[in-house]
Amino acid sequence: MSAPAGWLVALLWALNVVVDTAGQLAFKAAAHDAHESDGLQRWRHMASRPWLWLGIGCYIAEFLVWLAFLSLVPLSEGVLLGSINIVVVMLAGRVLFGERLSRMRTAGILLIATGVALVGLP
Amino acid sequence: MRRFYVIGFGLLLLFDTLAQISFKLAGDYALPLEFGPAWLLRVFGAPWIYGAFVGYVGAFFTWMTLLRHAPIGPAFAASHLEIVSVLLLSHGLFDEHIGTLQLLGALCIVAGILCLAVGETESERAGATLEHLPPAPHEPPLEPPREPPR
Repeated sequence: MSAPAGWLVALLWALNVVVDTAGQLAFKAAAHDAHESDGLQRWRHMASRPWLWLGIGCYIAEFLVWLAFLSLVPLSEGVLLGSINIVVVMLAGRVLFGERLSRMRTAGILLIATGVALVGLP
Repeated sequence: MRRFYVIGFGLLLLFDTLAQISFKLAGDYALPLEFGPAWLLRVFGAPWIYGAFVGYVGAFFTWMTLLRHAPIGPAFAASHLEIVSVLLLSHGLFDEHIGTLQLLGALCIVAGILCLAVGETESERAGATLEHLPPAPHEPPLEPPREPPR
């Protein structure tokens, strides 16, 4: 990474991965939780449980972290490096929700990780 | 129904792209970085942060609606393909140079997203027969899997 204060860029990047993953998992739990209800009732049910709010909290944190991150790196580099979130969310889904990693998923994860490494390592 | 998908995916792409472009523009006001309320005041005093906000919230509600109705595979791919539009726009709007390695990396990432989209579609098909059975009468709905104890 050729940006100023490389350690700060790396820190913000890592922080973004953490809050994004936590937020996605919380939203997943919220949606899962309200699977049976519909429409307005579904939203009401989700609002009465902590998952949705945890997710929103993480999203607010991510909003600020991502802004700080993008102020330090070019946008094209930023969005590409941010793709690592997909990989981490998938791996976390496997650990926490027991989601299966099929051959296609594994291939996708490896390709994305390779792509991020190509952009970020030089 | 086809129109619903096209509009939904298009809207998602539009919101996501708007958010990223706005983030970058708002980033000019975010420097120098500092930790505290003064920084928040400075950032939220700049107009572009609200573009990012609209994009974020719009994408959130579009995504939640799509997830409810659209097949997860294409929905997943569409929710991440803003990489392509943002890459094109960052070159066009901000004159960012996109090098060979970056281009190669972008291709890998897009290929990976497409793999995941196909994988999601496959696993949805495999699970469809089980998940679409109506719940047995007088039985509580299936509980989501719990977190394993640490």
